[in-house]
Amino acid sequence: MKPKVAFFEFTSCEGCQLTVLDTLQRHPELLEVIEIVQFREAMSERGEDYQIAFIEGSCTRPSDEAKIREIREQAQIVVALGACAHLGGINAIRNRMPLEQTREYVYGDKKDWFETYPARPLSAVIEVDAVIPGCPIDRKEFATAVTHLLQGRKPAIPDYPLCIDCKLTENVCMFLRGQTCLGPVTRAGCEAICPAQGQGCEGCRGLIPSPNMHSIKQALREHGMTEDQIAAKLSLFLTYQTMQLEGVTPA
Amino acid sequence: MRILPKHLLQAWVERLRVDHRVVAPRESHGQYIFDEITSADELVLDYHSSVLPPKKYFLPPREDLFTFNAKTMEMSPVIEEIQPTVIMALHTCDLHAIQLLDRIQGTGHVDQHYQARRRKTTLVSIECMEPCMAQAFCKSLGTLSVPEQFDVHLTDLGDRYAVDVGSDAGEALIRGMGFFWKPSDADYDRFNEVMAGKWPNFDYRLDCDVTDLPNLLGASHDSALWDEIGERCLSCGQCTKVCPTCYCFDVVDEIDLKLEKGKRVRVWDSCLLEKFAVVAGGHDFRNSRANRLRHRFMRKGKYQLEAYGLLGCVGCGRCALSCPAHITPIATLNTLNERRQASPGESA
Ligand code: SF4
Ligand code: SF4
Ligand code: SF4
Ligand code: SF4
Ligand code: SF4
Repeated sequence: MKPKVAFFEFTSCEGCQLTVLDTLQRHPELLEVIEIVQFREAMSERGEDYQIAFIEGSCTRPSDEAKIREIREQAQIVVALGACAHLGGINAIRNRMPLEQTREYVYGDKKDWFETYPARPLSAVIEVDAVIPGCPIDRKEFATAVTHLLQGRKPAIPDYPLCIDCKLTENVCMFLRGQTCLGPVTRAGCEAICPAQGQGCEGCRGLIPSPNMHSIKQALREHGMTEDQIAAKLSLFLTYQTMQLEGVTPA
Repeated sequence: MRILPKHLLQAWVERLRVDHRVVAPRESHGQYIFDEITSADELVLDYHSSVLPPKKYFLPPREDLFTFNAKTMEMSPVIEEIQPTVIMALHTCDLHAIQLLDRIQGTGHVDQHYQARRRKTTLVSIECMEPCMAQAFCKSLGTLSVPEQFDVHLTDLGDRYAVDVGSDAGEALIRGMGFFWKPSDADYDRFNEVMAGKWPNFDYRLDCDVTDLPNLLGASHDSALWDEIGERCLSCGQCTKVCPTCYCFDVVDEIDLKLEKGKRVRVWDSCLLEKFAVVAGGHDFRNSRANRLRHRFMRKGKYQLEAYGLLGCVGCGRCALSCPAHITPIATLNTLNERRQASPGESA
């Protein structure tokens, strides 16, 4: 029996689901091993009897919570798909600003029309069984996660830093090129594509389990970044995680 | 000794390319990486250091060990076609590192994958005339000249190279090629002059004698320095990835979507990573950065020597260059030495 799979999205750009679609096109054999019963991006049917739920996006509104819990009740396995679901993602940048100010900035005089609150990863709302990190997710990692699920295993993602991937592919370190990089504190698994293309890592796969924040900040400082620039660099994908490490709650 | 005039270098390398894969340093963003050359005019002999050491040709960062079929339970070894390879322009520190790896991989559980590649590879090394980088300390560790085992070694004499041959494999790259001349008395004089002239270009960087390292490390087991550098360490593992003597690996199984065809892959691992020493049941016997760093330094300066008779560090400086937290062997070992002298008999 092929496991029934459903895809859902909350606050996100749908880029991860697009990557899933692209992966399905490249690996049509995926459809021989799973049955997709719900996937708004790709089909109009909506099957509600699924065993595996892939959820994209972060929880940013009180009304998201009930829907997320409902999915949790139905699915045997819930997988957070991509940086928004995994980390709160870019949406969480606003968590360090007063909420009212953000609402006004974004919606102007219509600010009371829309409900919103600080962005959170799925794991802040429900128990999540597995994560596929990245902005967007990595195709290969998605396919590997599916094989792990079919084997009845929890999809394994690397718990070591990006520098390992980066050195295995023999990139010249961005720090030695006079640039900066979050690789030493970021979870590996993307084959260090940004450094390979000449860009420092922005941390889209989230922090490793025990990041040395004090030391990475020192390295960034030594490479010419101001405190504001460092804070900005660490806010793009890592706001939720760094606030948690600092014990700060959203304003 | 023989002489290779520089204008014949390319012709020689082109000749080697007929029946060998030739790899050499290639410039990349101000650093160098070893890579196959497709024409002798790409050859660079003058370079400082490489990102990854040439060991990657014997112990690739990732390699398939065997394939399996999970349905039929059949297994077959991956036997890759290994091309005869010449690695050009190795520095003497890297030769020393390969000598150590040869010993490790050839003792006890002989690593067949390593052996197979190593047997097909001939090493052409070149004498360093200037320190490759500020972090290097080869002179202190005795790796600034060729080790006992080498194949072909070049020394730059200006318009020509002095060529020394140290093995049959090396001789096979030279004999009957017609590019090599007999040295004249003037060549010997020039050679001696160049070799004597280069030593003052290098400093002794280590404050203690290299033979004292195992004692120093033994006495420093409980040093507070491990905690101090542990505070700075990011556990990023770069220092071990770039090290020419590190050889730890992990094995992972990969399987296709039909859960049928799979393979076992070996990937470089690193003792600096958080999960390296976690065993079944979740116990971690090196659960702090300080412990992991200490272990690495012990391996380099003490354990390898005790187990294999050669030091585990060749002073190449790659780890120091790579470390985002500036943790370097020289600063670490010299600080330990300083503290030992300040309080002999006590842990520094
Ligand atoms: S470029 Fe970034 S990821 Fe790569 S080694 Fe340097 S710090 Fe690590
Ligand atoms: S290098 Fe960094 S920012 Fe780029 S994809 Fe990988 S984790 Fe994301
Ligand atoms: S420990 Fe550092 S200096 Fe020593 S051989 Fe390894 S990379 Fe080179
Ligand atoms: S460490 Fe010494 S022997 Fe090695 S490349 Fe640098 S200068 Fe040459
Ligand atoms: S390179 Fe430096 S920061 Fe990274 S693991 Fe090694 S000692 Fe620690």
